[in-house]
Amino acid sequence: MSPDQNGAPPQPTKAAAVGRTSHDRFGERRPEIIEVAPANLRRWTRRDLLVLGAGAVAGMAVGVSQLPPPTRQRLGLELLPDNQWLLNKALRFDDDVAEALYSPDRLVPTYAKSQITPLKNNYNGATPDPGYIPAWQLTLDGLASGLRVSLDIRTIMIRHRIHDQITRLVCVEGWSAIAAWSGLKFDDLLHAYPPISQAKWARLESSVNLDADGNPDPYYVSLDLPTAHHPQTLLATHYNGLPLTVEHGAPLRLLAPVKLGLKNIKAITRITYTKDEPRDYWAERGYSSYDGI
Amino acid sequence: MRSTTQLDDAAARTTAPPPPVRVARKHHLLVRLSHWLNVLLLTGLIASGVSIYWASPVYQHDPDPQSGNLDYFADAGIWICAHVPGQHHYPRPPDWIYNHISLGPYMLAPAMRLHWCCVYLFMLNGLVYLAGLLLGGEWRSLLPRVSDVGGSLNMAGYYLGAPFAILGRRHRVHPRFNTKYDPLQRVAYFSVPVAGFLSVLTGWAIHKPMQLSWLAALFGGFGRARVWHFWLMCTFVLFVVPHVILVCADGWDTLRSMVTGWSTRLDGSSTNEP
Repeated sequence: MSPDQNGAPPQPTKAAAVGRTSHDRFGERRPEIIEVAPANLRRWTRRDLLVLGAGAVAGMAVGVSQLPPPTRQRLGLELLPDNQWLLNKALRFDDDVAEALYSPDRLVPTYAKSQITPLKNNYNGATPDPGYIPAWQLTLDGLASGLRVSLDIRTIMIRHRIHDQITRLVCVEGWSAIAAWSGLKFDDLLHAYPPISQAKWARLESSVNLDADGNPDPYYVSLDLPTAHHPQTLLATHYNGLPLTVEHGAPLRLLAPVKLGLKNIKAITRITYTKDEPRDYWAERGYSSYDGI
Repeated sequence: MRSTTQLDDAAARTTAPPPPVRVARKHHLLVRLSHWLNVLLLTGLIASGVSIYWASPVYQHDPDPQSGNLDYFADAGIWICAHVPGQHHYPRPPDWIYNHISLGPYMLAPAMRLHWCCVYLFMLNGLVYLAGLLLGGEWRSLLPRVSDVGGSLNMAGYYLGAPFAILGRRHRVHPRFNTKYDPLQRVAYFSVPVAGFLSVLTGWAIHKPMQLSWLAALFGGFGRARVWHFWLMCTFVLFVVPHVILVCADGWDTLRSMVTGWSTRLDGSSTNEP
């Protein structure tokens, strides 16, 4: 065999390399041809098919083990161990991403009055009896003063400036609604009643919430203080220009448009500032705990 | 002397290696890896995505006065249970679709966890795929050409006519190309990664509509971004069905090349047929 037949293809000259057109750069190349002994080719094929098969079995086993138990039961695979490790890891990672995306200076979009849409009463259980409203008080705990403060709605509204905003409330389920809200900034309340210096969290609680059968089912959410300080995080007193009705959380609810709707707790009865992350109703039921959107 | 020569000949006949086979490199290892990972990840994304869709269907009609049902998928399930043999005793007809193509109804929290898990891996897998395209130089074969507008329509017409030709026992010659992919394949294999990219973008737009409000605005706002996301999912399904049918029709070499990376079609063309 001559070296020409056996050796490398002729080297392109410098002039040819310089003169390359875009067609040469983007044009399709001939495939690279390789010569292999048939036995090697068979061995490679067998190896690659086995790797694919093993990968498919492993991938499906991991995938199925992460499925919720009712789904696995329906598939007839309930014998595999229940392990949500990977999914819980993904949920926490996604929360970290959400927290990294948050900026205290970034405002959410606001809308015109003409863009307002209906907002349904989305109480998870039964709507509370409005009987609680006249005696309602907001209790503040975990304050720097060491005191426990109770405020009625008149005091809150007289002492703080009321702000208006038309923003979108986004539900974890996927629907959303644009509404006009008025209320004091959570930030103003934090300045009026400063929390303990180590505080990183607020626990917001409503003792008047009911479950679907009408039995007491207190609702509680965790809220990181950076979100509480956000200029568009309100403690809302009015919805579409009127005082909050019982369906929308009279007399005071959270309106944090940078969070999913489930953080926007209605009929707040107590706010406690804490050093450690407090419990969260929906996080305990498998949802995210940060819920930043 | 004579016997020695005979022995040598016999030894040469049994030990001489068979002549080497010439094969063409077709798919880079990273392209193959990302292709098969995508099968798993897209299955997880679609199954969990449909469970998320269940919580608040993008397409709703006025609630049914009796059942309160407003979801077309639930309607389809009710229809299937009423008309498909063997399904008449299905316990919850409105859940039929969700029980068969998703994690099931009332699975929003686990579905979201599975969706986030799959989508972070899907985004990483997209980078693996791009790396494979660049390292193997395969990206050049995917670039659409102006002539692909007509060419892909011709190919689509050929494939749509194929079942009738088979039924009518008419012989048709598969169009032949001297490129790695035919025009329809080129358009499809270029568009599907773009659709994957857009799915990720619309996904972020509806996942973080406040922090990434500019992205949601790019797709017409939060509500419209959800519609985009839904239809991009549908394009994957619409791609996968003919993709699997055609790779089976095309033969073992094509399927094997996505596992092993090489093909016996040395001219790099897309089909075996004359």
